[in-house]
Amino acid sequence: MRPAARIKSIQSRIAGSFVMLVLFTALLLIFISYPLSESAVRETAENYTSELINQVNANIETYITGMKDMSLAAMNNPNVREYLVAGGELEPEELAKLKRKISDYFHAILVSRKDIASIHIFGYNGTFISDRMDAELNPNILPQDQDWYLQAQAHKGQAVISSSHVQPVVKDEYRWVVSLSRELSGADPDKGIGVLLIDLNFKVINDMLSKLDLGNRGYVFVIDKEGRIVYHPQQQLLYSNLKTEQLEQVLQDTQGGFVVNEDGGSRIYSIKDTDFGWKIVGVFYENELVDNKRQMQRSFAIAGMLCLGVGVLLSFLLSRNLTRPIKRLQETMAEVEKGNFDIRVPVGHSKEISSLARSFNVMVLKVKELMNQIVVEQEVKRKSELNALQAQINPHFLYNTLDSIIWMAESKKHDEVILMTSALARLFRASLSKGREMIPIATEIEHITSYLSIQQMRYQDKIRFTLDVDPSLYPYVTLKVLLQPLVENAIYHGIKNKQGPGSIAISGELKGDRIMLRVADDGIGMDSDKLSKLLTAPGKGRSKTSVGIANVHQRIQLYFGPDYGLSYESEPGAGTTVTVTIPALRAEELAGREEIPS
Amino acid sequence: MRSPIRMRYVLLAAVAAVVFGVAVHQLIGGGRQEPPKIVVAVKALDEIEFWRVLIDGVHTASREFNAEVSVIGPPKEVDVDRQIELIEAAIPDKPDAIVMAASDYHRLVPVAQKIHRAGIPLIMIDSAVQGNYAKALIATDNFDAGQKAGKELAALLPPKAQVAIVSYVQGASTQIEREQGVRSILNGRAGTEIVGTYFSEGMEERAYEITMRLLKERPDLDGIVGLNEPSTVGAGRAIRELGLTGQVKLVGFDSSIKEVKLLEEGVIQSIIVQKPFNIGYLGVKTALSVLEGDKVPDKVYTDSVVIHKSNMYTEENQKLLFPFVEE
Repeated sequence: MRPAARIKSIQSRIAGSFVMLVLFTALLLIFISYPLSESAVRETAENYTSELINQVNANIETYITGMKDMSLAAMNNPNVREYLVAGGELEPEELAKLKRKISDYFHAILVSRKDIASIHIFGYNGTFISDRMDAELNPNILPQDQDWYLQAQAHKGQAVISSSHVQPVVKDEYRWVVSLSRELSGADPDKGIGVLLIDLNFKVINDMLSKLDLGNRGYVFVIDKEGRIVYHPQQQLLYSNLKTEQLEQVLQDTQGGFVVNEDGGSRIYSIKDTDFGWKIVGVFYENELVDNKRQMQRSFAIAGMLCLGVGVLLSFLLSRNLTRPIKRLQETMAEVEKGNFDIRVPVGHSKEISSLARSFNVMVLKVKELMNQIVVEQEVKRKSELNALQAQINPHFLYNTLDSIIWMAESKKHDEVILMTSALARLFRASLSKGREMIPIATEIEHITSYLSIQQMRYQDKIRFTLDVDPSLYPYVTLKVLLQPLVENAIYHGIKNKQGPGSIAISGELKGDRIMLRVADDGIGMDSDKLSKLLTAPGKGRSKTSVGIANVHQRIQLYFGPDYGLSYESEPGAGTTVTVTIPALRAEELAGREEIPS
Repeated sequence: MRSPIRMRYVLLAAVAAVVFGVAVHQLIGGGRQEPPKIVVAVKALDEIEFWRVLIDGVHTASREFNAEVSVIGPPKEVDVDRQIELIEAAIPDKPDAIVMAASDYHRLVPVAQKIHRAGIPLIMIDSAVQGNYAKALIATDNFDAGQKAGKELAALLPPKAQVAIVSYVQGASTQIEREQGVRSILNGRAGTEIVGTYFSEGMEERAYEITMRLLKERPDLDGIVGLNEPSTVGAGRAIRELGLTGQVKLVGFDSSIKEVKLLEEGVIQSIIVQKPFNIGYLGVKTALSVLEGDKVPDKVYTDSVVIHKSNMYTEENQKLLFPFVEE
């Protein structure tokens, strides 16, 4: 099939439409669902982050609240007050006893709280109490210089939460802690008597925060209200500027979050304020959403391709299925076009196609019938035409014969006149043959005998005739007036132009299922060129006898088929022999065979 | 007619199977890309805080950039043979990249060659090997750090001064660079004489003994530079024991609790602290950049920081002096 034809075929059109439909649907679905999924992913991430930092907040607040409660308990402990206020007036023994009591009390609290690293009291009167009796102060560090000490004094009895830091005040201990400090006041509320320090083990916060999962790169960090980092998983990177954090913006934020655009993509900040001034910040990378996005894109692309692939395959199958009966119909039509009317289209399953096929089959049948009818009618027409032509031969001959009779009558040759007239009468009776086209060979012989005797009278000694047909052939049938045109041809073209007399021999024989009738003359003969033209359809300018010869040949073939007819053998100067071949059919066998009554 | 219909069902079934298979594959996440595998070979796994912090940086980077990192190393820094063994065993596994801190400048050369021949990108951290096998070196600028130490000491010295250098392993590249840095400053200072460089072999006791002898032999010594942690601590102990705290100025390298205490006591005036976390982090990051096909500078110097008593508890310096390593 040519490409253009292919494109125009129903199958490709159906397939094409299906593909377009699938493509359109798939694209539409992707365009609708993709942004939805994208925003869903983003929303989920944001919700997850804010939920996570809420949880972190709750945990940290638990720790801090615990520390505050503890500080209140410590502050209101009468032993503590006594020790700090009246410390100087007591006996050293009693003082030591009191100190031990307090220390044991602190120690008891600490045992139940794993998150608390230590509890210390620094009295303004120079006293120091720890939860451990053996704890010594670091001789190289002054507590009074420490930030938490100064902050507690500045806040006058209010609890102060420090950022995460190393606590160096105890000898040989350098723990990472978050400190709660508060100034203890004595009888005079405006006058402090010492500073209470509770250190929260920073490891608990670190462990809690470092285990959080915010995607591969996301993290949580905590800053205090001054913007100092309490916890950051990449604190080292921040200090060395390998990473920057939007601390200013976080401090100023009141919306609960913001997005920072950077060269490497955006970071999404989710911020939660705590009661004690810290801010907990969840950070996740939009890139990771983009990773999800890419995966989503890939999934969508693959799903789309699959849809398309399946669509193409289905449309191909479907369209082939739909067009197959049409194709079969088309092929059958092509066969019919070539002339095969016996072919039938199988009736398919679908309603339209089966009715089409049925109609087509009916049509082919009808056409076949009509064609047959036409063939028959054409034959009839030809036969009648030929009969009409044949009928023309007779008047011509009749004219010549009558001319001869007149001539003989004028010469008073009465006997000859009688003879010729009766021969003429016999000839016409034979040629009439009750209007039948097929006649027994006997009748044909009678006919040709009459004809020969008339010609004999006309040409006297110029022509000799011999008739040698086996009487056993007589019952067989032949077409009437077969031999007369042949003999006429032999006379007019063979002998008439010859010097001296000529002879014509008519013979007949049965050869298998065929009868051969022969008319042989010893006239001037014909060359092969003339011979070859003899049996073809009569051309212009040909003599009437030639017309007659061709007619005889055609009539035989028309009635008996192409296996039969005339055949000529001739040699210039040596004469011509024409053989009539017809099937050996008896009159009774012929009954009903003769389709056309003459 | 029958067989084409059957064929069609077979085809449809096949298509359905493919669709299902791909969907399942997609759900399980088969389309996900494998993270690159990186081997990080350190000089020691957990003996020294320096390496613990460095490994912490390695893990931070591997989390951030989604790399599969395995850290290998001998238990002790002196175990060079063990490090060579471990790295050689890692090469046949064909990691995507190897990040290596060479424990010996010369003995690790064949290993570096092997890695190079195996077509595995090599990134060196902290200390290099001889030759040019690595895509990049990420390390402290030891010459610069030496200069910082030199400047610190110079500021503390009287106009005419005598200074000794307590170093660790003779021939170690970091030691040479640090010493050159120190000398480049002190040699330019009029009236300052460097009495010599003494090698502690990286052992505190050795440094202590050397310094004791030195201080006794040269009572007029004004300052000492300790080029690494054991050398500094050893020297500091000797100064303290001889009651020379504050009289003989000591500037040291690296950090440890011992050094912190000496700093608090005033035995040590300044220490130069490296940033091992950054070295580990950048080592992995650089390896990943190489794998991405990016151009990386062949030398990346990480910063070093000068710490003295007055600034040791600042926010930034606490993390360097008291590394909070996740356990």
